[in-house]
Amino acid sequence: MDIRNDLMEHVPRLRRYARALLTNRELADDLVQDTLERALSRSRTFESGTDLRAWLFTIMHNVFVNQVRKASARAVHVSVDDEAFGETQLAASGGQLHSLEVRDLDYALQRLPAEQREVVLLVGLEEMSYAEVANALSVPIGTVMSRLSRGRERLRSLMAGAQPGAKLKVVR
Amino acid sequence: MSEQPTAISEEDIHAYVDGALSSERREQVERAIELNPALAARVSDYFSLNNMFHERYDRVLNEPIPPRLRALENKRRAWGGANWPQFAALAATLVLGIGIGVGTGSYLPWANSSRVDTVAADTSETMAREAALAHVVYMPTVDRPSEIGKDREHDFVQYLSNKLGTDVHPPMLTKSGFQLMGGRILPGEDGPMAQFMYRDAKGERVTLCISQRKTSANTTAFKLYQDGPVSVFYWVDGAFGYAVSGGIDRKVMLELAHDVHAQLTETAPG
Repeated sequence: MDIRNDLMEHVPRLRRYARALLTNRELADDLVQDTLERALSRSRTFESGTDLRAWLFTIMHNVFVNQVRKASARAVHVSVDDEAFGETQLAASGGQLHSLEVRDLDYALQRLPAEQREVVLLVGLEEMSYAEVANALSVPIGTVMSRLSRGRERLRSLMAGAQPGAKLKVVR
Repeated sequence: MSEQPTAISEEDIHAYVDGALSSERREQVERAIELNPALAARVSDYFSLNNMFHERYDRVLNEPIPPRLRALENKRRAWGGANWPQFAALAATLVLGIGIGVGTGSYLPWANSSRVDTVAADTSETMAREAALAHVVYMPTVDRPSEIGKDREHDFVQYLSNKLGTDVHPPMLTKSGFQLMGGRILPGEDGPMAQFMYRDAKGERVTLCISQRKTSANTTAFKLYQDGPVSVFYWVDGAFGYAVSGGIDRKVMLELAHDVHAQLTETAPG
């Protein structure tokens, strides 16, 4: 069957989700395009009568995960100077977080692990049911719930931000 | 009367926010929320997050669909892969790095050798990762309205100073050919982080992040954090951490870092 025209109906929502997922417009559209191409090349495997949108989101998830995996060459910290210092004594913040005026959803989202970001957006933005999300991501519902719970809570604290009153070094 | 309090699970709370509860269960959750202000605040925040997603991203639904997505039948790979191999790999790598690294203190034992010393993850590395991530997230947005023209530089510095409650004057990198393009305040792990964006005539971009640290330390040597094509030179000076990020040649990056460091120490009070 030719699902080409039907596909086009879903493009705006695929773009919205991809934009939230990746922030960058070109990258997001690349992801959508790769998704559409893969969908077209596999259109025979789509069972007519089933949910085309869910099928497309499943494909998009797979494309996204492959991109992440391909890029999994990890970053390495390199000591430039041998006289390394005792940075470990620099304790982490005591959690003095307050509301921040500049709230930046794009940035906060990008700081979530990809798997949590997907779930938080599929539920919160795409308004998929937990079962649909579990299906699209090929994970159990319990995993969806725990990613949702952790992702939302982390996003909440990121958006709560930090107190701007803290002093930065005077740079003249 | 069966008015005994019902245990409300974490899952119930999210299912309540997402409208996935039966009406009976929903009432039970609502009762629990009424009795628990902290829970009420959390639920309210979750609702707000969902609203913010729509406020922020629904506009994409009304954007015209780009031609390349409308015309899939035409030579599909002609444009292909221009961005993904470089930029996406970069973004994805950073996403992984953040997901794995923050808070876990993880590092890469297999990368240990006499030549390449991996440094245990700590807060200054967290800053380096944040700086790298901020670089990637905002690098393509330098031309957005947040950008400042030269004439508006003063206004911008004023704005930053107001935000941070102290004078902030970003170093000038003009002698290396980089103009200050803009900046923003980002929430960092340790408090607000100021990010300054610079661009040269060729369109190369570097960013400088400055964040306050909870614990003061002596000035440290430069360290390099490498994440795919993005290099971050970072160091700590007293109560502040600095990170210079960019995708350009490392030697140039190091020169810029030295330049920044010199300008900061020259004029540092005390």
